[in-house]
Amino acid sequence: MRREELTVLRSRVNVGVYIVAAALVFLVGGFWHFQIAQSGRFVELADKNRFKQIQIIAQRGRILDRENRVLVDNRPSYNVVYVREGAHHSLEELAAVLGPGLGMTLEDMKERVEKSKNEPKFRPIILKEDVDVADIAFINARKLELRDEVFVEYQPRRKYLEGDLAVHAIGYTGEITPDELKNRDPKIYKAGDQIGKFGLEQRYDSVLRGRDGYRLVIVDNRQREVEQFGREDPVGGNDLRTTIDLDLQRAAEAALGDQVGAAVALDPSTGEVLVMASKPGFDPNLFATRISASAYQELNRDPRKVFRNRVIQDHYAPGSVFKVFMAAAGLEAGVLDPLDHVNCTGSVTIDGVTKACWKAGGHGSVGLYEALVNSCNVFFYNVGKKLDINRIAHYAMEMGLGRKTNIDLYGEDAGLIPTPEWKASAYRTRNKADQKWYGSETLDVSIGQGAVSLTVLQAAWAMGGLASGGRLVQPHLVDPQTLAKDGFVGEKLETAQYAIRASTVDVVSRGMWGVVNEGGTGTRASVDGFDVAGKTGTAQVVGKKSYGKDEEFEDNAWFVGFAPYRNPEIVVAAFVEHGGHGGTAAAPVAHAIFDTYYRKKTGQFGTQSSGPIAQVKP
Amino acid sequence: MPVNFEDRRIGKDFDWALFAAALALALIGLTEIYSATMSLPGDVAFMKQAIFIGAGIALMFVVASVDYHSISEHIPWLYLGSLAVLIYTPLAARRIAGAKSWIDLGPVSVQPSEIIKMVIVVAMARYLSDLHMKGYLSFNQILKAAMICAVPMGLILLQPDMGTALSYLPILGVGLLVRGLRPAVIVSVVLIVVLIVPVSAFVLGDYLKAHQKERLLTFIDPSRDPQGKGFQVQQSKIAIGSGGVLGKGIFKGSQNQLGFLPARHTDFIFSVVGEEMGFVGVLGTLGLLGFILFRSLHNAQTARDSLGLFIIMGVVGVYFFHLLVNVAMVIGFFPVVGIPLPFLSYGGSSILTAFIGLGLIINVRRRRYVN
Repeated sequence: MRREELTVLRSRVNVGVYIVAAALVFLVGGFWHFQIAQSGRFVELADKNRFKQIQIIAQRGRILDRENRVLVDNRPSYNVVYVREGAHHSLEELAAVLGPGLGMTLEDMKERVEKSKNEPKFRPIILKEDVDVADIAFINARKLELRDEVFVEYQPRRKYLEGDLAVHAIGYTGEITPDELKNRDPKIYKAGDQIGKFGLEQRYDSVLRGRDGYRLVIVDNRQREVEQFGREDPVGGNDLRTTIDLDLQRAAEAALGDQVGAAVALDPSTGEVLVMASKPGFDPNLFATRISASAYQELNRDPRKVFRNRVIQDHYAPGSVFKVFMAAAGLEAGVLDPLDHVNCTGSVTIDGVTKACWKAGGHGSVGLYEALVNSCNVFFYNVGKKLDINRIAHYAMEMGLGRKTNIDLYGEDAGLIPTPEWKASAYRTRNKADQKWYGSETLDVSIGQGAVSLTVLQAAWAMGGLASGGRLVQPHLVDPQTLAKDGFVGEKLETAQYAIRASTVDVVSRGMWGVVNEGGTGTRASVDGFDVAGKTGTAQVVGKKSYGKDEEFEDNAWFVGFAPYRNPEIVVAAFVEHGGHGGTAAAPVAHAIFDTYYRKKTGQFGTQSSGPIAQVKP
Repeated sequence: MPVNFEDRRIGKDFDWALFAAALALALIGLTEIYSATMSLPGDVAFMKQAIFIGAGIALMFVVASVDYHSISEHIPWLYLGSLAVLIYTPLAARRIAGAKSWIDLGPVSVQPSEIIKMVIVVAMARYLSDLHMKGYLSFNQILKAAMICAVPMGLILLQPDMGTALSYLPILGVGLLVRGLRPAVIVSVVLIVVLIVPVSAFVLGDYLKAHQKERLLTFIDPSRDPQGKGFQVQQSKIAIGSGGVLGKGIFKGSQNQLGFLPARHTDFIFSVVGEEMGFVGVLGTLGLLGFILFRSLHNAQTARDSLGLFIIMGVVGVYFFHLLVNVAMVIGFFPVVGIPLPFLSYGGSSILTAFIGLGLIINVRRRRYVN
């Protein structure tokens, strides 16, 4: 009985051997799956657990003027940031702890987090930027409670030392948007980066930005740093030396004052831009810290369009400034002789169209010199009639008008030199009569009215080219050669030379000298000892909706000139929107630039008034 | 009845191989407990575990020395005494992890529900072996056997400690299977488990404690609570998987050292083995555990009588249950329940229980020859 019983029991125990064996095979199979078949995936996950990359933001390069004076610098700044990964508190809890101290509501925080919800969870979200010492102390005092969910992070910020000075040329930076990120090299650009958004900051972003470094650290389960695993130091951005002359820029902007307008000064022999002023401007420091939506809206809604760079982005009818180019074209084409005289009776009828001169009684008998000095319309109606529109367009284009100058800024406008073909194309949706070019339109163009329009930069550039004997050097704010010294490949500057007789240049320059120095319309631009030559323009504003009611029908004021009148060193275009007469509104702006330039040149320029804040050793 | 030390030469016919395997496992466990707690101040866990291993081995020799027949004769008193302790425990205990399972004994605290398991093993063996029959168990007999298990289980559930309570089931299950159940009964039980348990898990959801419900639901969908129990299992899988073939080296597992592994020196000690010693270490450890089970099954078959056979099978059932549930848990094949791995996991009660069980097996083996 006992023996049989044991035999039965033992046979059942034997089944246990198979059950245990099967279980072990099952478990070993499981480990095979995790440790051999899928091991790579888990190694990655383990590394993701232990490694944390902490970004070290590179200092952006400074922006300097031509004398190495600092226009744009960086300043240290701190942000309060929040990391969602491994967070132990809800936003509600955090708002209760941080809200009173940081002056934030739960809604503020939710909005910030919502905006970044698609970004990786380990990436810090900025709750409050550019915080003050009190905020930093407030956060650091709660380190234990907040662990590594909320902390203070260093971020250098842009500091525009001169405020809104030259803001349209310099530009500003801002956080990269998802759209901007799409077309860029992910090795260089990443979400949260500050990039140039406008002006030189945008155009030379790759020079200025440098390369961010990082620290690779090993962290524990509470995200505390245990040790540093690797480090790559950030490479600071290159300083960008511009061709801007801070003294001239200040003088130009002071002269423009509260007027809406623009001024540009070039060295015609090199194409260097000495002044680029557009008014009104805005303070780019607003963008260095995240600009609030309401502040941005306010700027954006300003009817004076503060964001437009009026030197290159807008075009205007040149008015009488265009007569200089008409004179040169007439002389070159042989339809005009320096000795020709026209009797101005106050109006003229050409091909059945009667056009008036601005002077009611007429100028009497005028030669080219008097026609320029007194800006006689009748004289140039005749020149226009003899040239006809196609030849006007041909010479104007050759002299640099109606096409982009290819300055090193984005968004340049090409201006417009009209032709019959242009009109047919521009009015192709209208009826045939509207598409036709009329003789009266040629007459309008002859005195810089009608469809012809120039950017302020074009006016200065073409004038400089004409005054230097037909040599056009691509205008620029940064010399490609200085870039090359820092190891960057800049575009080669284009230089063009068109055929023009020395006598033509001489006659036109002499006339423009008279405009400023012999009782002409531009006497307010004159500088003692510096032979300034120039031409005023007073362009009628036709059918253009405007902002200030009183100014609605005021003319646009121009002055374009150069000095000295032989072998010019500087060419200036000044423009005041609805400023009235060119001689009274625009010429003083040009004067300020010429005067400052001449005083610097002759060593009479004192640095006592608002001297430079910082200067870099060359 | 006087305790009968029939043979005082402990070394005679002692199962040294079994002991060596257990000792090897204990040392692997000790190493990884050191590794898992080295970043904490002091060597508290390591020292405590070393002392308990020593105490466990001493207890093993004591248990192996006393003839299991005389243990069996004293079992009614031990059983009743155990029930008294289980009633006393929740009254005296501090609440740890939601349960009142531990009582403080000076510098250490013990979990009576662990150690008492071995009393139930012997009680069950005595009842089943006394039946002396060849055929299948009757309903009454099954009910009586179940009662032996159910009373302490019920008391443990009141603490409440479902994990430990569940670990009593294999004593009953293995005992009944070896004693003889009608195939129809086995099939019915399997069907009930397969069909009813998952359904009742939802139906009875209201009766489960919050953390138990959490564990069950997390098992069904581990991603639903990344910071909770699912997080534990996910981190355990990462530790094991990233260990690869050879492991990251002892004391070098990042998941372990940097604290990503939860309960790493207790219930998840096997994850640390997997991470630091790799697949090779896993095979070695499972091999040693397998060796203990196979050797014990062999010892059961060579036992002198059915009492010895049932005692060994009870211990094997407990070992097997712990091994299967714990190891399946660390790789996410089973829900997270607080079941330690015998000989490896940190914990005095668990170590003592494992070595007492080993003492019982060696005890039976030493007396396998009919004299």
